[in-house]
Amino acid sequence: MATADARKCIDTNVCGGKTEEDGVEMHSNDCESTSSFNSSDYSDDLEPEWLDDIQKNGELFYLELSEGEEQAALANANQGVATNHVRFSEKEAEILTEQNKKQRCASRTKGEPALKRLARILRRKRRPSQRKPGAKDGGKENSALSSAPASILKNQPGQRQAVTVQQLKEVCVYLNPKRLAGSSAPLCEGGGLLEALLGVVHRASWSRGLGDPPEVRQEDRLTVHGLIPNSPAIKCGQILIGDVLVAVDDVDVSSENIERVLSCIPGPTQVRLLLETVAPADDSRAEDTSSVRKTKASPPVSQLVRLLWGEDTAELQMSIAHVPHIVMFLSLKLDSASPQEEEEILYQYPASEASGQLKGVRGIFLTLCDMLENVTGGRILSSSLLLGKQLVHVGYWKESNNLLVVGLPAERVPLLCLQTVVGDVVRTLKVMYGSLDRAFCQADHAPRLDHFFCLFFQQLIQPSRLRDGSSAPPTDVSGTLFLDGLPAVRWLTLPPEIKMEVDTVLSDFESSDFGEMSEDFFGLRRLYVILGSCLFYKSYLIANHLPKEDLLDVCLYCQHYCLLPLASEQRVGQLVIWREVFPQQRASTNNPGYSQPQGRHFLLIVGLRHFMQCVLLEAGGCASAALGSPGPDCVYVDQVKATLLQLEVLQAGVEERLNAPPAPCLSCADWFLPAARDRLDSLASSSPVFSKLAGAVRGSSGGSRGRSLFGERARRSSPQRSQSDSGSEGQMDAGTSLAPGLSPHSTPDSGRKLGGRRDSLGSGGSEGSGGSGGLFKIPRMKHPNPFFLGTLKKTLTERETEEMYNTMKLTSGAENTLFHYVVMESVQGIFIAPTHREEAQLSGSIHPQLIRNFHHCCLSIRAAFQQSLPARGRRAADRPQGWGLGPVKEHGVLFQCKPENWTDQRKPAPTMTYWVIGRMLLEPVPQEFYVCFHDSVAEVPVEMAFRLSFGLAL
Amino acid sequence: MMMLQHGSTQLLCLTASSGVPLFTRGASKQLPFSVIGSLNGVHMFGGGHGVVLSSCETEGGGKVVWRVFQDSMMLIVVSGGGQDGAGDSKEDEVRLQRLLENVWSCMVLVLGQDELTNVRNVERLKRDLRSCFSLIDQLLEDRQEGILGNLTHCADSLLPPNPTLLQEAVDGFAQASDSEFGCLIVHGRIAAATEKWWRLAPPEVVLLSALIRSLSASGSASCDYPVFLPQGSPTVAHRLLRFQLLPGADVCVLCGPTPSLHSAESGMVGRFWTPLVETLRDCLAVGEHSLPRSVSLRPDVLALLLINRETRRSVSCVRTSTNRPLGDPPLPSKARCWEILKLFYIFSTTRYFNQEETLCVSPEERAQRANTDDFVLGFSHQPLQCYLVTEECKSYGLQTPQHQLFLLAPLSVPTFALRTVATQTLSDIVGATGF
Repeated sequence: MATADARKCIDTNVCGGKTEEDGVEMHSNDCESTSSFNSSDYSDDLEPEWLDDIQKNGELFYLELSEGEEQAALANANQGVATNHVRFSEKEAEILTEQNKKQRCASRTKGEPALKRLARILRRKRRPSQRKPGAKDGGKENSALSSAPASILKNQPGQRQAVTVQQLKEVCVYLNPKRLAGSSAPLCEGGGLLEALLGVVHRASWSRGLGDPPEVRQEDRLTVHGLIPNSPAIKCGQILIGDVLVAVDDVDVSSENIERVLSCIPGPTQVRLLLETVAPADDSRAEDTSSVRKTKASPPVSQLVRLLWGEDTAELQMSIAHVPHIVMFLSLKLDSASPQEEEEILYQYPASEASGQLKGVRGIFLTLCDMLENVTGGRILSSSLLLGKQLVHVGYWKESNNLLVVGLPAERVPLLCLQTVVGDVVRTLKVMYGSLDRAFCQADHAPRLDHFFCLFFQQLIQPSRLRDGSSAPPTDVSGTLFLDGLPAVRWLTLPPEIKMEVDTVLSDFESSDFGEMSEDFFGLRRLYVILGSCLFYKSYLIANHLPKEDLLDVCLYCQHYCLLPLASEQRVGQLVIWREVFPQQRASTNNPGYSQPQGRHFLLIVGLRHFMQCVLLEAGGCASAALGSPGPDCVYVDQVKATLLQLEVLQAGVEERLNAPPAPCLSCADWFLPAARDRLDSLASSSPVFSKLAGAVRGSSGGSRGRSLFGERARRSSPQRSQSDSGSEGQMDAGTSLAPGLSPHSTPDSGRKLGGRRDSLGSGGSEGSGGSGGLFKIPRMKHPNPFFLGTLKKTLTERETEEMYNTMKLTSGAENTLFHYVVMESVQGIFIAPTHREEAQLSGSIHPQLIRNFHHCCLSIRAAFQQSLPARGRRAADRPQGWGLGPVKEHGVLFQCKPENWTDQRKPAPTMTYWVIGRMLLEPVPQEFYVCFHDSVAEVPVEMAFRLSFGLAL
Repeated sequence: MMMLQHGSTQLLCLTASSGVPLFTRGASKQLPFSVIGSLNGVHMFGGGHGVVLSSCETEGGGKVVWRVFQDSMMLIVVSGGGQDGAGDSKEDEVRLQRLLENVWSCMVLVLGQDELTNVRNVERLKRDLRSCFSLIDQLLEDRQEGILGNLTHCADSLLPPNPTLLQEAVDGFAQASDSEFGCLIVHGRIAAATEKWWRLAPPEVVLLSALIRSLSASGSASCDYPVFLPQGSPTVAHRLLRFQLLPGADVCVLCGPTPSLHSAESGMVGRFWTPLVETLRDCLAVGEHSLPRSVSLRPDVLALLLINRETRRSVSCVRTSTNRPLGDPPLPSKARCWEILKLFYIFSTTRYFNQEETLCVSPEERAQRANTDDFVLGFSHQPLQCYLVTEECKSYGLQTPQHQLFLLAPLSVPTFALRTVATQTLSDIVGATGF
């Protein structure tokens, strides 16, 4: 079984590698087929790699990381991939047994061609019998392997001629024997604990059989013959097949005593393994190891991803055990007839000491909830209590006869935003499970909820630790609280041409006209109706075809599972998520005259590199009703993938937008501090334009990049290209190359284009801009878009550019004084803020501080807006006494900042003052608007708000 | 179904160790005994498990705050909240916390700490506590316009037109009464006081002012009242002698066994104060404005509260709406202005400005306060000024190393002009009065 898994791992590699190759092949496939994906080419032979991760209830959470782009080629050639492509099933690392696979087959009959299914079953049948390393697998896979030598085997027979050197190395792995007990899988007959706990496959018989040199052939040496996917051994990435395990925590081990040694490990702990490894000495091998080292050197996988994979969370959990936090679902109806211990606790997490104390006083929560409703006439919302020295806020959510209690440390979550946090988590649970009762009261949900709340607390209590593996900037807790708390999604405005293209591609997909792949083709009733989808690029929403409430539901799910930040780093090779969801708006509609179809809804999220598309599907209604718990349908997943691949052509345009200087011009706080300014001026030839040309001047490295990009573009706009672009044929060209394969006669053209694209990949690699870049150039020149200066920048003289920036300046006065802004549009449920890149370009030492401060202040401002919301619409006269400050329309705070560690004793530290202002507009559309600007110019925030919202053309 | 009416506040006092109810004040209808019992019970239960319950909030702005003082007395305040669900929850909590502190200090002031901490006879204590009720009720109702000291813990002051004369008189009077602590209270605000009086802890000054107000409200011309100073001398009583000079103007001294009330009244009051009757009348004329006529406020200031952060004194006033141009939105009423001023003060101080009174409170209280959710500490830069625009008016707050100013302006004032209005008002007042 273990080896079967290893084989699948390789299988995955191959497929991943194929996708990795830039999807070009897919494109050529596309072009040949009529409208979209050609199924027979793509998915017939290779079953989707996520197939085995589908759970019994049909849910799927499959996340596969990819190397960085430059490493991709390398990764294909060596075993680097094997260590990183790890599969994950939402619950726990589930060891697949023959039995539940069969069950799955039975449940997954929907929409699968019979022949394919049969083939799959046959293949699966074969699997358990293969107790061999992956490379020795059946013919088909083998041939696939030979083309991509992604082998995790070091000592393949054919390569043994290389001169090798024996070395010792120490590897630390984290083992958790408890997980063994939890999983129902029986210990494999031969492997025992070594296999089950550590994930190392050792076959005593092979040592003899495999033709090891006689001098090494010692029966009791623990040679690593294979690694089990998802096991600690493979995750650490340092144990290689062929290594010999010498000692565990300084205890010498052999096949004689290894089981005994491992069985002595009582609980989750880290152990040190001493391995004897074979260091390669020849050239080809040297390259190999260097790349291995490279993968090791770059922090392997961030904690977040580990957490998402459902790897052992005990360590993370332990590191916050001293921080009091808890979630409990308590029953208010007690059956007094059978008083049992802790009977009222329906669910509780985690089980640390500090939370145990909170659990001990659950009587308080129950009593208060019960009593205060009668006393003050309102349900209980929160209470604050002191646990030793720590202040803990407890949020309540009462539903029917049950009470959800969430306790969080006050230093992380101020009382001001506790309700938002609790409200969001409740809504996420409801979206995922339908209701709190259903979420908590089913016994088999417990491990999933554990995972859910582990993520929840980790994100709130130690967000920095989650991201430590990546290069993300130090996290800003208030920023996360504020931005995640907004009932909106971060939006990226795109140039209209690109936006239109994106929308067209999405609409094409949503029309579910999948050609011969669609159910219509076979005269069947449709399985799902696509209600809409939304598209994220690097954590920005770039297109949305979902109603607002649905969008927020989807976004809450993505936020909770940190999918958005995940996609913003170049780490996602492939992401497929499938689960039943219960959109809140649809669940609770009571519109007279019209009722929503009573269908079931499914959420499909597919991510490829930076793109992520979320699709909301409906079964029942006009589609056929869903029975049982259907798993993801290959056709739909493939169609989304195809859409994403289609969209990748537009990536260059989107990237260009991201690289463009900030649309309302931003200034860096450091420039306004005299000392800092001197320094900068000396660096950058003090020009008056300096502060105005914020991004452009600051990002000098970005500048050079941009120039080379434009240079290349200029080169490419050869006579031939511009001819084809200008004529009517060129127009056609535009359409087809953006959505390749739309019409048969475009094939040669797009083929050529793709060829060109591959070339450009070789040269620049950066922006596979080929056709699209050139195409967009002409129309853009005709209608200059003030928010998209990418190509214009170069042609304009400096003065013109300056004027340009002046027109885009949000603040009044000669100098640009805007530091940061957030605009939320509550009708569409989106918000706009400077992109991460824009923030990064402004760098500076004070500026990040300023942004943190801005977000913290926004929490307070928004809380002030929220307080007054329910009371709106009443006239002042109706208001009872003691009614509070009343509806707040605008709120501003002036801050003063000083440079940190000012050393000059003689002069006082220079100071800079700036405003953070929030404004709520109800007309013409409800908007909330937060800005941060230098106080040298008095601003009328309403005017700024209008300028900003019109300028951004929401 | 609801036991507590909207907007009403009920105060419960129990012994901390045994949970025997001592008294309940506020609200027309007392909460049922079972509720009082469980409110106390949950806190005690938590205490047994190492968890100290401090506050609780419900929909609609209802609040419960618990606090144990000196391990002997448990005070619980339950507030019904508004009808709207408009929860100025955080603001309300600060107000209630302050209320509990004041009630405890007031009990110590009247009865002394010993009697409260070493309870031998509960029935007797219950009887004794009745003497605090008038003061506690005054704190609970908090209806007296223009008095913000209970909240700010800064002494409400009145800036007399000719302060030196009054100051000399107060100093002389106190000296003659064999005391270092003397003060003159006009319209419930301190017009002049000896230096030592200002050296008392700010909450004590505020509380003494409240006590004097309630004593003078009783209408007697003079009285001799034993007081304990909650921080200065919680176990040894002093005598507070109060004499009414004119209706609305009282002078008082804190003294030891001598002089007797009678001798002071007959011997000294006339001697020191008769020559100053006209000055006192001028002072009374300043009225609720607190500021002498020499200070000209800009017309667009509706109300203001100015705090001197060093001396812990405050001046506040609400201006009656003069002739406003037709068509403007109606200005908030005077009572509403006071309310907004209070709320804005709490709003700004809980979120942005620090109330640096941690210096002058007892260590026990400091520990308690340090545990309140400190939103202010989350800022990486120092907040200096803030403003709010609501449907009724605009509020502006600013903080300098020496002062804090909170003012209300009508909606017709442009927002960007508020800052100028505020800074100018501050410099006007400080320049004219040296406050």
